[in-house]
Amino acid sequence: MTGGLVGTPVPRREDERILRGDSCYLDDIDPPGAAHVAFVRSPFAHARIGGIEVPGGLEGVIAVLTAADLEGRVGDLPVQGIEDGRVADEGHPVLARDEVRYSGQPVAAVLAESRALAEDAAELVEVDYEPLDPVLDARVSEVELTHWHRTSGDVEGAFESAAHVVRASHALPRLAPVPMEPRGAIAYYEETDDVLTVWVSAQDTHRQLAGLAKVLDRPEESIHVVVPDVGGAFGSKGVASPETVAVAAAAMVTGLTVKWAEDREENFIASYQGRGVEADVELALDGEGRMLALRARIRADLGGYLIQTTAIPTHTTAMLMCGVYDIQVADVEIAGMRTNKVPTGPYRGAGRPEAAYFVERTVDVAARELGLDPLELRRRNLISELPYETALGWTYDSGDYERCLALAEELVRPERRSDDEFVVGTGFGMYVERAGGMFETAEAELLPGGRFLIRSGSSPHGQGHDTTFAQLAAERLGVGLDDVELRFGDSKEVPRGVGTFASRSVAMGGSAVLQAVDALKEKLRGVEDRQPGIKASARFESDQVFSSGAYGAVVEIERSTGRLRVLRLVAVDDAGTIVNPLLAEGQVIGGSAQGLGQCLVEEAVYDEEGNPTFASFVGYSLLTAAEMPPLTTEFVESPSPLNPLGAKGIGEGGAIGTPAAVANAVADALGGVRVDPPFTADKLWRALREAEG
Amino acid sequence: MRISVEINGRACEGDVEPRTLLSDFIRHGAGLTGTKVGCEQGVCGACTVQLDGEPVRSCLMLAVQANGRELRTVEGLAADGELHPLQRAFHEAHALQCGFCTPGFLMSMEGYLREHPDAGEEDLREALAGNLCRCTGYLGIVEAVENAAREMRGEDVEGD
Repeated sequence: MTGGLVGTPVPRREDERILRGDSCYLDDIDPPGAAHVAFVRSPFAHARIGGIEVPGGLEGVIAVLTAADLEGRVGDLPVQGIEDGRVADEGHPVLARDEVRYSGQPVAAVLAESRALAEDAAELVEVDYEPLDPVLDARVSEVELTHWHRTSGDVEGAFESAAHVVRASHALPRLAPVPMEPRGAIAYYEETDDVLTVWVSAQDTHRQLAGLAKVLDRPEESIHVVVPDVGGAFGSKGVASPETVAVAAAAMVTGLTVKWAEDREENFIASYQGRGVEADVELALDGEGRMLALRARIRADLGGYLIQTTAIPTHTTAMLMCGVYDIQVADVEIAGMRTNKVPTGPYRGAGRPEAAYFVERTVDVAARELGLDPLELRRRNLISELPYETALGWTYDSGDYERCLALAEELVRPERRSDDEFVVGTGFGMYVERAGGMFETAEAELLPGGRFLIRSGSSPHGQGHDTTFAQLAAERLGVGLDDVELRFGDSKEVPRGVGTFASRSVAMGGSAVLQAVDALKEKLRGVEDRQPGIKASARFESDQVFSSGAYGAVVEIERSTGRLRVLRLVAVDDAGTIVNPLLAEGQVIGGSAQGLGQCLVEEAVYDEEGNPTFASFVGYSLLTAAEMPPLTTEFVESPSPLNPLGAKGIGEGGAIGTPAAVANAVADALGGVRVDPPFTADKLWRALREAEG
Repeated sequence: MRISVEINGRACEGDVEPRTLLSDFIRHGAGLTGTKVGCEQGVCGACTVQLDGEPVRSCLMLAVQANGRELRTVEGLAADGELHPLQRAFHEAHALQCGFCTPGFLMSMEGYLREHPDAGEEDLREALAGNLCRCTGYLGIVEAVENAAREMRGEDVEGD
């Protein structure tokens, strides 16, 4: 198969190996003689640590490391800032020193001959905790970890002169990312060469490497990171975790190969979570329903520490608070508060679902108060000319918002009815998503037999890079898919890249592949004797691009029980050029399932003492095949002018558009009663009573 | 304790502790890492294997309980190297992304379809509800299992 590959639904090349059971995830690597790690984790949400006592003679135990053993050689995890914002210097300690700030925080690392023996010993390590009162509500927290405020235009004037001012307060609970493969790392230190090798279940190679170098204060050249097959991440395996650093440090301290394969309970309580944000939004409109100004106060429950990327999702939320609407005046403020919970960080959508939810709920509240059809109110305010610079300062590069909305309306077949048994309502949610940005790299090499090898700085964890990137390269080279081989995930082999997050792989990584291929073709032009080994590399850089879309949902609520059923869901996404429609649709369906899970069942609940109640699949449910509603997907392809492919991002649209659409459908069915996800039967039953007055 | 099991038609012996889970024995004792472990409490289904032909959660059994019995894991699904209809259907319908849950789905559904070759979509969805997937949103998996069931019944499959 040559030519015409881009835009073709090619099934994945990575599948056969996985289907035969030949995949190799972190815990499938069994280095002989490895020391296995179990962490001693805080059972308290907030406590002072008086001392740590390790009993002697523990069976099979090789070493127990505490913060004291790491002092002077291991720093705290780094913290990333936000533009024009204040971010506290409250990086996560690798192992707790004199205080623990959330239940599940790593306190000591037990190294033993097997994981079972390490777990046995971890229970016998005595930590002298003095419990302190935990702060579990961002509204009562007195410690602000992040602050950001931006205004544009005459906010006061716009609100004073407005014909209508609509107010809506909404909240999204904390969510657990729950990749099916928990986290894990294996580390080995070679003293003679002074090289630290770390295998890690991660979204990318180079952010792990940079984080380890920083915290361990080592030159990056002395660290070798290998990312094997990765069983999902959804944002949660982005930057180096405290546990990964502890494993690397343990390898250096003991001289042993050290392995940590996280179990599900650890993953639930200690992997950073998403969302946990609330907002008070005010929208000023004129007599014709034109949106004049928006004011938003966003409060985030950030947890006990800042991991490297904690500040970023709320900043993204804030910057997207004008949504797809032409609102010239804005005033948006973030207060990110410290609480005694596990830190938050990026989880699929990472600030975008929050923005879409707050904005789109507010628009529906406005439509109801103004007596306008929600679709009509949207149409009067949609941005129609792009590129468009928002009042908050980002430039949307491309899109056709009206077309997306029209398609969503047509496909969802709106329905609104009520009888003795059920109430049925329809809702829409639109979104604009920042994707891509920064840079990505690739290297193309001629192999013997006229084949080609592409080394990519990007890194897959389920998306299908091996197929998509091969489609791009093969079409450009005029060869078959099988003539192109891809390599990822080994910092010694691939060029220094960025990684897979923010729906950036095709737009950035794919564009780098194209450019590397073009550079190689240029080198080979006119060369008669084409010797294998000729290489060319590329580093593609661009501003961020903005995907967009419109989602529609029809829902039914049972009057007697409050049980919610999503009757149908429609996803219309504009991610620019689609390279592989089969895989792109897979991203939309998968993202929508996570968005639906958030609407129906998912919520990471801490009890009044700060204990996680979600430490297993019993306390935190995922949707199953039996609960998936009929889903229709459609693509609008407005190419981005910012990369040679015209691609934007498709990885997160489902997770962004679905909650807003379902929430508006629920509110529609309830006659405007305001409830927030998850839409449990209990909550909706009460809301129905309220709706009946 | 010494145990002896047959895995994918091959005799396999090993020393295990009484508390060793069957899943750990298969993966780290027998070295068959195609079987995955996702929760160790029997909810996610990633560790599903077949014991004497029946799908079981290998994380809910002790290795010693399998002594003298026959196990089949995902590595044993492709007879003589040729992919099973379920494996092919999963590939064609894009029913896997990260692939961590996939072996469990395959081993559950292979057992289910043997018992229920004529299962309709609703029944299949109920049967599939015993396995969790966080990537695909399941729709591709439902389609794949329906297609495989049709092929196994000897019916024409769309697109073939």
